[in-house]
Amino acid sequence: MGRRAAVILALAALSIAGAGAQQPAASSRDISGFWALTAEGKKVPDARLMPRVTRAMLDLHKRRDVHALRWCNPVGVPLMMDSGTPIEIRQGPTSIIVLTENSLVPRYMYLNRKHVSADIYDPSTIGDSVATWDGETLVVDTVGFHPTHGVTSIPGGGFRTDKTHLTERYRLLKNGDVLSVVFTWTDPTVFATPHTYEFRYRRLPPAYEPLNEWPCDPYDETRANFLGDPAPFGK
Amino acid sequence: MTIHHPNRPIALAAATVICGWFVAGAVHAAAQAKSESLTSVERLEGDWVRVDSSGSGDFGGLTSKFTPASLTPRGAAAMAEGARAAAVARGPAFAENARHDRGQPYIVVSRPCAAGPFGGGVLGTNPDSGAIHFVVSKDAIVLAPERGGARRIYMDGRKHPDLRTWTPTGSGHSVGRIENGELVADTVGIVPGVVTAGGWRTPETHLTERFVVSPDGKHLTIKYRWEDPLIYEKPHEYQYEFDRLPEGSYALEYWCDASDPEEQQSVTPPPQ
Repeated sequence: MGRRAAVILALAALSIAGAGAQQPAASSRDISGFWALTAEGKKVPDARLMPRVTRAMLDLHKRRDVHALRWCNPVGVPLMMDSGTPIEIRQGPTSIIVLTENSLVPRYMYLNRKHVSADIYDPSTIGDSVATWDGETLVVDTVGFHPTHGVTSIPGGGFRTDKTHLTERYRLLKNGDVLSVVFTWTDPTVFATPHTYEFRYRRLPPAYEPLNEWPCDPYDETRANFLGDPAPFGK
Repeated sequence: MTIHHPNRPIALAAATVICGWFVAGAVHAAAQAKSESLTSVERLEGDWVRVDSSGSGDFGGLTSKFTPASLTPRGAAAMAEGARAAAVARGPAFAENARHDRGQPYIVVSRPCAAGPFGGGVLGTNPDSGAIHFVVSKDAIVLAPERGGARRIYMDGRKHPDLRTWTPTGSGHSVGRIENGELVADTVGIVPGVVTAGGWRTPETHLTERFVVSPDGKHLTIKYRWEDPLIYEKPHEYQYEFDRLPEGSYALEYWCDASDPEEQQSVTPPPQ
């Protein structure tokens, strides 16, 4: 009995050790690269909104979004994840940065740490993002959004507020050529049920050189008229 | 920056339960130990802010202690022309230059936040008083100044582009290498402009930077060396000092809303 137990224990030990050794390779836990999102890479269902969310509220957010674009404000999340230009993700030992070519403001995700206390966090268009690896999936949890700064509308319907909570799950597919990001938004003031959609980005060649200076002139009247927000100053 | 590892006690406890858990736990612990003791250029990862290590009082005083650039006649002429151009460009953006009474608000800029001066990651080659964030990935190191823009230092072995086809940017094109555990970055392709302590640069000017992290990981020195035989009589050198921000620090979002009229105005201290 003792010998049998020892064999079982040894096999269990080897099995568990093997599981440990089979942790995903470093490359599957590194989402660094340049990524492009095309129309075929978006699967966005309609959001189920709370009854209190009226057409007027949605229209107000749309007008604010145009205003933010016209004045070259930082757009923040979610628009910077689909801003019309490739995104660049760089993953370091303690943080991940997301850069877009048409915005000066990057997005940060801090690895293996807790959210900054809401008492001292300054709400922002990107929110406070913390990230952990769950197997081969990077799970990013974001709170601390600013309710009015930047572009607030969310794909599929709704908008972010200071009560919004975003969870993203990043996973490499097709030998790392495709990056799947599943977004799930919850907000008791906006969504009746969690709103989930998926983007699939294609990896660009590593030698890709991003545009580093994107012209955005808030005082370009032609552009302002095109966007439909021609007022020179004031909100 | 001290790195927080909330799961470590759990991994260590699990490792003591049975032999297999011990092995698996050891794999996990080894991975965590790696990030806990970042090596070589990985130690650059995190948040830094410039400090006045010589007690100069302000950044102007700090740079005044640097050895002034020794310009060639051509370099001096380029700098003078650049100063003239900058003065002209300043005209329409600045509403007035008249003197004002103490406490009297006035319009400083007529077009605030316009086309931001921080485009192209220019603050990545000349950090100001805002914090600067380093992310050290396998193939590139990103420097992200808090006031906007980003600069990349490629570590994947690529060469500089042909400057005849390169559009100059605020931070240019940087490639890096590791020497004695330190990051050394070589940069070209920066837009023409002034360089700290009386220098000037063109896209052809070479900037070499050496990033030196102190043994305790809390202090960073960036040593700058500008070289261009058309601009400088000899290489122009100086260095900036930085302290690492405390654990738990995060990047503040620089918010400048050009549509806000208050962005135009001077700061007026409230009545005391």
